[in-house]
Amino acid sequence: MSSDIAPSESTTFWQSIHQAQATMHSLSLILGPLPDPLTFSENPTTSLLHDANISHDIKSHLHHPDSGSGDDNLCRWLYDTFQSTNPGLQLVVLNFLPTIIKVYLSRAISQKSLAGFEAVLLALYAHETVIRGGEPQTVILPNLTNPSVYHEAKTPTKSKAVDLNIAVLCPALEPFGTVRSTKRARIIGVALELYYNNLHDMPLSSKLEFCEFCVDWAGYNQSLEEEKQSNPKTDASCADQQGEMIQVKGGEDEHGKKGRRIPLPWELFQPILRIVAHCLLGNSNSEELKEAALVAAQCLHLRALHDMNPQAILASRSLLRLAKMPGDTIFKPHVVNDSSDLAASQLASKD
Amino acid sequence: MLCTCSGQQFQFEENEMPQSPESLATRDFSVSGLSSKTGDWDSKFDDSQVDDVESTLKETLSLNYEEARALLGRLEYQRGNFDAALQVFQGIDVRGLRPRMIKAIAERTQHRKSRPKGENVQVNVMSMHSVSLLLEAILLKSKSLEQLGRHKDAALECKNILDIVESAWPYGMPEGVRGESKLKEMFHKALELLPKLWKQAGFLEEAISAYRRALVRPWSLDLKRWASLQKDLATVLLYGGAEVPLPPQFQQVWAHMTPTSNIEEAVLLLLILMRKVAFQEINWDAEIMDHLIYALSLSGQFELLAGHVEQVLPGIYSRGERWYLLALCYSAAGLDDLALNILKKGLGHSERKHKLHLPSLLLGAKLCYKNPSHAWEGINFAMKAIEFTNNQEKHLRGVASHLLGVCYGYCAQSSISDSQRLRLQSESLKSLQHAATIEKDDPEVVYSLGRENAIQRNLNTAVESAIKYLDMVAGSSVSGWKLLALVVSAEQNFKDAEAIVDLAIDETGKVDHLDFLWLKASLQVAQEQPRNAIDTYRILLAMIQVQKELKSWSSDSEVKAVKDLEMEAWLDLSFIYTKLESWTDSYVCLEKAKSVEIFSPKCWHATGMLLEAQSLHADALVAFSVALSIEPDYVPSMVSIAAVLRMFGGKSLSLARSFLMNALHLEPTNHNAWLNLGCISKAEGSLHHAADCFQAAYELRQSSPVQNFT
Repeated sequence: MSSDIAPSESTTFWQSIHQAQATMHSLSLILGPLPDPLTFSENPTTSLLHDANISHDIKSHLHHPDSGSGDDNLCRWLYDTFQSTNPGLQLVVLNFLPTIIKVYLSRAISQKSLAGFEAVLLALYAHETVIRGGEPQTVILPNLTNPSVYHEAKTPTKSKAVDLNIAVLCPALEPFGTVRSTKRARIIGVALELYYNNLHDMPLSSKLEFCEFCVDWAGYNQSLEEEKQSNPKTDASCADQQGEMIQVKGGEDEHGKKGRRIPLPWELFQPILRIVAHCLLGNSNSEELKEAALVAAQCLHLRALHDMNPQAILASRSLLRLAKMPGDTIFKPHVVNDSSDLAASQLASKD
Repeated sequence: MLCTCSGQQFQFEENEMPQSPESLATRDFSVSGLSSKTGDWDSKFDDSQVDDVESTLKETLSLNYEEARALLGRLEYQRGNFDAALQVFQGIDVRGLRPRMIKAIAERTQHRKSRPKGENVQVNVMSMHSVSLLLEAILLKSKSLEQLGRHKDAALECKNILDIVESAWPYGMPEGVRGESKLKEMFHKALELLPKLWKQAGFLEEAISAYRRALVRPWSLDLKRWASLQKDLATVLLYGGAEVPLPPQFQQVWAHMTPTSNIEEAVLLLLILMRKVAFQEINWDAEIMDHLIYALSLSGQFELLAGHVEQVLPGIYSRGERWYLLALCYSAAGLDDLALNILKKGLGHSERKHKLHLPSLLLGAKLCYKNPSHAWEGINFAMKAIEFTNNQEKHLRGVASHLLGVCYGYCAQSSISDSQRLRLQSESLKSLQHAATIEKDDPEVVYSLGRENAIQRNLNTAVESAIKYLDMVAGSSVSGWKLLALVVSAEQNFKDAEAIVDLAIDETGKVDHLDFLWLKASLQVAQEQPRNAIDTYRILLAMIQVQKELKSWSSDSEVKAVKDLEMEAWLDLSFIYTKLESWTDSYVCLEKAKSVEIFSPKCWHATGMLLEAQSLHADALVAFSVALSIEPDYVPSMVSIAAVLRMFGGKSLSLARSFLMNALHLEPTNHNAWLNLGCISKAEGSLHHAADCFQAAYELRQSSPVQNFT
């Protein structure tokens, strides 16, 4: 195999191996000796990403009451590892993003120094700022009168292209040196967008945790349970069409600390919902993840209803409806019908 | 030969071992009791297999090694012996046969176009029949691998089919290809299968490129299958969890028509699908609509979305749901009045049927909550919402109470009688307190409570709420900081208020700094530090200048807010200079303010103040009247006119009094109005009344913030 690799490629390959080993060495100074299979792994970055024991150790460190301060070695390790610019190692850091955000947000209210967590979050934010080069993220809305890769225009277009409609998905990022509290949601939101873009490569456990945290952040788990118990047959739009009851872990994590509800402005709600949507409707084989994502989506929808934020209601509502639809509906159309309303309109037309 | 290659794994015990290709065919025939469509292997056996063998024999006069294997493999596949089928298929050297197959497909279609009818096909070219048989073999091999759980191998195998056909037809399926229905069918199945296999194998990029491969060229797929593939691609792009850009060759061909991100590509596909639904090329599909709602909500395109909701044929959504959806779209697009009208219409309809839609009621209340002029309607919506929350939705009662409380507060502010105002104010606090007991974790309720208390000048409670609110949101709310600073300033504790503003400046971003600097300057004016205030205004105006130069991507409302602030800053400076009796400076500032917005009552009011300070009473009156002609309810000018008229004395006093009464109707907490009213009463000799007015003026002044609680 190695003979196939061009010399320059092989040097970068070895460099990344060395980098990974150095990273693991510095991790072992914090956590104590790492298990052998990891130390001698052929592909250390992937092993590091997927090793359940190491993940568990790192997470319990992050949950420790004294974690996240400016001199927290683990935060420093996460920061350095992310700055290594090795994509594989950056994934390792992103793997812990849900935990970091959760612990950070639950302590943001206290006056404790959280410089360690903030440094990691700012590193992710700065990384994304550099990638975007100060430009806003935009979506050009397709105008079907112009032909595209996927369709031909029915009418021949005039010499000038029809105007394009540009929507802003995310405004340009201003660089931040510190986390200002009114900018916290923006910084975390951008970090989560980075997480979203690498979601396909994230281990299942990270996504599962994220969905569980969402339930706490949204803060309506209680209402969801009550609603389900008092049996639910209201209108098609609501989250309450769920027939069966889904067990939730009650927002109680293994460290016994209940997460707190957090302000969810759109800049934070949007990336959170995108991640949950991936867990719910992406191509995952894990039923456990789908169930967790469904609960998260329901709680987020309830939260959107409580905040009466139309943008969030529309997005979360359509996700829930999609989660409930059976497979392919192009061949077997699935028509939602309110028979009584239809009957009423027929009656009205007779009058 | 056949048996030596692969016979060991086969389970031929029950049946006779096939001795020759012919006997294989006969056995096929004897087994197949049912007939079905070509290429549908899942349904038992079929007559067509016999036809296959027959026609192969007719065309080539022999059944060659590969074809025999293809047929045998199919048989094993049909029986569910995927392992055995795989063994058989592995004996076919696809790589070796590839060039011949490509040539056969390409030549055949070329000849069909160019050559006159009746001419024979070249002898050494593989027959189309064998080609389809071999393609089928590859497809079945891929499916066997899939069944055995080897998804990646299955995908690689399946990709062979696409490679072969694409090499033969680089520009898609040529028009006029008929007859090769089996080849087409195999190919179409492969097109559909490949992305599914990559998805199952967990290769997102490959899956996406397989979909794109199937969709960018005309492969004459039937409409439903085509639409289904488009929908699947849109789904993978939306929920895949990775950004997979289109390959550069598309970008070269399509330039700016190429989607630049996955979400954009997904929206394009969904819009194409919606058009197909509109043209009734495919049936209505609720999933497409929901994917579209999701995608457009994420990208904030609500007017476009509303257009699609409006186009949905009746009978698909219930009336209430459709109106709710539309109202959501319009309110998300910022067209609140339109949304409110739609909601009213929708609710009027459902009210007659005694079936109210709770989320619509809440949305209605929320829309009114955003616009004080609709506050009375907001009360209506919220009361109905509280009335109609049933047991399972009781958690929404807190939301309704919150909205109700805020709307009561707005109504109180615009109320014309004192008794009504007091009643509304107490209702407001009651509802908000009720909301706070239900929505314990909702910081916004605490904020509203703090704000309402501040307006009612219950300053201690207001400070408590403001602090609690900032704690709950961990300092992340700009309006929370502002409320706290204003309430503390209302306590006449300007120093602390300024410290709070400094803290807020540390915790907020650049755009918010403008407001806080303005507040800081006002606080410095209140502390009679004109020099510091002038410095702060200078910084503020410099920052506004920078903002104006960098105005890319700011919305219209943001641009207006910055413009208003600029004018306010110049006017405040003008007031400072007026106070310092530096008339020329004051005029300069005033001119600057007018250059921003000349038709503002504030500018004319400031002009009046300046003239008044120079004792040019008549001119000042004119300026104040201009302000009132621009905005008849502009309270400060009313009070100032009254002050000038008061000085004229005599008959003017009653005129002044009516101006003041009017001002106090509109703004009962205006201490200046009370002060002037007191002076008039004193001049008229009713000393008791004058004392009351002075008392009110003093108390109100002692609890006024430096800027209005907004």
